[in-house]
Amino acid sequence: MINLQPYSNPTYFAIILSGLLPVIIGLYYGKRLKIYESLISLVFLIFTFGGNHWHQGIALIGYTIFQVLLTIGYAHYRQQKKNQTSVFVTMIVLSIIPLAIVKLTPLFPANHGFNLGFLGISYLTFKTVQVLMELRDGTIKEISASQYLHFLLFFPTISSGPIDRYRRFLKDYENPPARDVYLQNINKAVFYLFQGFLYKYIIGYYLGTRLLPVVTHLALGQRLAFGGTGFSWYLLAYMYVYSLYLFFDFAGYSLFAISISYFMGIQTPQNFNKPFASHNIKEFWNRWHMTLSFWFRDFIFMRFTFWIMKHRWLKNRVRISQLAYLVNFLIMGFWHGVTWYYIVYGLFHAGAIIINDYWLRFKKKHQDKIPHNRFTEYFAIFLTFNVVCFSFLIFSGFLDKLWF
Amino acid sequence: MKSTKKLWLIFGPVIIAAVLVWGILLLPLNHRRVTNTDLKRSAVSLSTNVYHGTMLKQAAFSKNYVPFMGSSELLRMDPLHPSVLAAKYHRSYQPFLLGSAGSQSLNHFFALQGVHRQLQGKKIVFIISPQWFTKHGQTPDAFGYFYSPLQAIDWLLTAKDSASTRYAANRLLSMPSGQSSSVMTNALQKVADGQEISHSEQLFLEYRRRMLRNEDALFSKIKLDRHWERVKKGERQLPTKDSNQILTTTAIQLAQKHTSNNDLGIDNHFYAQRLRGSRINALRGSQKHFDYRYSPEYSDLELLLSEFKQMHTNVLFVIPPINQKWSRYTGLSLPMLKQTASKLKYQLNSQGFNHILDMTSDSRDDYMMEDTIHLGWLGWLKMDEAVKPFLTQPQAQPHYHLKSYFYTKNWQQALPQKEGSH
Repeated sequence: MINLQPYSNPTYFAIILSGLLPVIIGLYYGKRLKIYESLISLVFLIFTFGGNHWHQGIALIGYTIFQVLLTIGYAHYRQQKKNQTSVFVTMIVLSIIPLAIVKLTPLFPANHGFNLGFLGISYLTFKTVQVLMELRDGTIKEISASQYLHFLLFFPTISSGPIDRYRRFLKDYENPPARDVYLQNINKAVFYLFQGFLYKYIIGYYLGTRLLPVVTHLALGQRLAFGGTGFSWYLLAYMYVYSLYLFFDFAGYSLFAISISYFMGIQTPQNFNKPFASHNIKEFWNRWHMTLSFWFRDFIFMRFTFWIMKHRWLKNRVRISQLAYLVNFLIMGFWHGVTWYYIVYGLFHAGAIIINDYWLRFKKKHQDKIPHNRFTEYFAIFLTFNVVCFSFLIFSGFLDKLWF
Repeated sequence: MKSTKKLWLIFGPVIIAAVLVWGILLLPLNHRRVTNTDLKRSAVSLSTNVYHGTMLKQAAFSKNYVPFMGSSELLRMDPLHPSVLAAKYHRSYQPFLLGSAGSQSLNHFFALQGVHRQLQGKKIVFIISPQWFTKHGQTPDAFGYFYSPLQAIDWLLTAKDSASTRYAANRLLSMPSGQSSSVMTNALQKVADGQEISHSEQLFLEYRRRMLRNEDALFSKIKLDRHWERVKKGERQLPTKDSNQILTTTAIQLAQKHTSNNDLGIDNHFYAQRLRGSRINALRGSQKHFDYRYSPEYSDLELLLSEFKQMHTNVLFVIPPINQKWSRYTGLSLPMLKQTASKLKYQLNSQGFNHILDMTSDSRDDYMMEDTIHLGWLGWLKMDEAVKPFLTQPQAQPHYHLKSYFYTKNWQQALPQKEGSH
C-alpha cells in the first residue's frame, strides 16, 4: 500500500495537483465540487495515514469521532441557552486529553502500549479548542458535523498548520470566489509553491542536510571547550545554521500548505512575515509562526488576562500582562514537548518579552532623550535576531546532547 | 478571452520551466567530454559527487587510473600519499581515490556498479580499516551519505540471482536508503526473494537511471579542485629521484617536523585541533572495550569480494596499523587487533585473494601514522613498497573460489580455527 508524506518530494505535488485538477476547473467556473472534493480529501488522508502508517490512521479516526461528538454535543448544550462554566471547562479538558496523553507518553518509556498519536494531532487540537471556546462565547452559534469535519480534516494543513479559524474557513468554503478573485488566488498559489520550493528544497535542504551535520559534528567535538561548558565558535555557527534552517524549512512547508489551500479556493492565513526583520521580541511573535502565536494570544493570553481582571486577583495591569506572558509561553513550551529545553525555551521568551515591555515603557517615557535613527533600528534588528537565535539553540535540544 | 490569457500568464512559465527541466534530465547527455584535467582533479577530489557518480569513474578506469578504495586515511595527503608519489614520478598508474570517513564495504560494493566494463580484468588497491568491523557494522547514516540511487539502479538492472545478490538486496532493504522510494523497495524485495523484477518496474528504473545519469553528467564536475593544490604542494617537497632510500629520509624529516607538539607521534595540526588540553584526558582508556573481531561487516566484505571476482580484478588488500602510542593511551587491545587481521586474512586467503599487506605488526614503529589510526609518511611509503610492484609488474591471473559461509552470522561471530594459518 502506498504511503505519501505531505510535501515530502516533487512527486507528491504532481499527484496532489492532478488530483485537484477537477476542483480547480470547478472553481474556475465558480462552482465548488463538494462531493469530489470530499472524496479526494479522503483519498489523500488515506495516502498520508494508510500503508505502513495505518496505526496513525486508526488513531486519527478515533480522535476525530471523539472530537466531533464532543463539539456537536457542546453545541447542542449551548443551543439550549445553558452556559455553565464547569461544563465548558470539562469540555476543554476532554478535548485536550488526547494531546496531553501523547505529549506525556515519552516520559514513560517502558510503556509499549498502543500509541494515540498521529501526525498533526497538535494542530487538530488547536482547531477543536478554538471551536469550543467560540461556542462558549456565542460567536459560533450552530455547527454541522459535515462542515466541522471539512474544517478539522482539511488535508493541506492537517500535518502542521497553518492553523485556520472555523468561521473564516467556512466563509471561503461555502462561497466559491468569483473568477477574477480565483485567478488572483491561483496566481498567488503558484508563487507560494515556488517560493516554498526555494525555501524548503533548496535553502532548507542546504542548511539542514549539508551544513547542519557538519556544524553539529564540529560543535560536538568541542564538548570540553571553554572550561567544559562546550561553548565554542562552532556552537555559535550551529546556532545560526539551525535557526535559519528552522525558518526556511518551516516557512517552506507553510507556503506549500497555503499554496494548495489557495488552489482549493481557501485562503489559509500566512504563517511567516519576515520574522528576522523584527525590531523586538513582541514584533517577532507577530511575524513568526503567526497562526500559532495568534492562537495563543487569543485563547491563552487574552483569556487569562480577562480572567484575572474579572476576579480582581491582581490590580496592576503591568503585573497582569507579565503573568499572562509567563503562563502563555510556559504552556507553549509544554506544548512543544515535556523536556527541559522546550520549557526553558518558553521561559526564555516570556522573560525576553517582559524585559522588552519594560524597555518599551521606558522608551515611551524618555522619548526625547533616546535617539532613533537608522543605526538604532539596525541595532534593534541585530539584537532581536541574536536573542531569537539563542532561544532556538535552546529549542533545538542540542545543548542537551552537548551537556548530558 | 481575458481569463484564458491570465491563465496562460500564470501557468505558462511553470509549464515552460517543467518542460525544460525534464528535457534536460531526459536528453542523452552521457557523452559529455571529460578532459585530462577533470580526471586528475576528480581522482584526488574525494568528492561525494564523484563517489556517487559513474561518468568520471568510467572515463578514469578506461585510462591508467586504478581505484584506491578506503576511508578516512585517503584524506591524509602528505607528500608520501600514493597520489602524490604517482603524480610526481609519472608512474604508469595513477590512483583514483574512492572513499572518505564513513564509507565501508557495502558502500564500496555499490560504488563499483556502472564501471564493471572498465575494470574488467584490472587491478584495485583496497585499504581495509579494522575500525569498520564494529559490533553493528555499517551505520545507516554513513551508508546513506555515500549511497547513490544511480549505482543501486545500475546494480538492480544487471543483477543475476545468487547468494550475493540476495544478500545485497537484503542489506540495502535494511537501510533507510533502501526504503526511500517505493518502487525501489518493491524491486529490492523481489530480488531479495530471488524473483525477477517486473517489466513496468524495469521501465521505471530505466527512466530514473536516465535522469540520474544526466544529473551525474551535469553536476559531478562541481568542486573537483578541492585537494589538487595539496597534491601539487606535496610534489614540490619530494626529491627528484624515485628512490626508496631518499624518500625514507624525506618522510622522516617531514614527520619529525609535523609531530613536534606532542609525544604521541600525532600530526601537530590534528593534535591542536582535536586533542590538546582537557580533550585528550577524556580519551584515556576510552577504547578498552573496542572489539573488531565480531561484526556483520565481515559479510559486507564478502559481498565486495564477490564483486571483485565477478570483474576478474586482481586486488591488493592493505590492513593499516594503529599508532601504538595512541592505542596504549586509549587502551585499545593490540592482541585483539592482531586477531582481527588474522580473521581478515583467513577470509581473503581461503578464497584465493592472496595479495595482502598486513601492516598491523608495524604499529610500534615511529612515523608510520599521521595521527591516531591514519596512515602517514613512513606508513604510506611502506605501503608504496607493495603497491608499486603490484601495479607496475604483471601479476598472475587470480583464481577465486568463494564460499557462502562467509555470509553467515556464524562467520561474523567466529574466529578462524588456527590463527594466522596460511
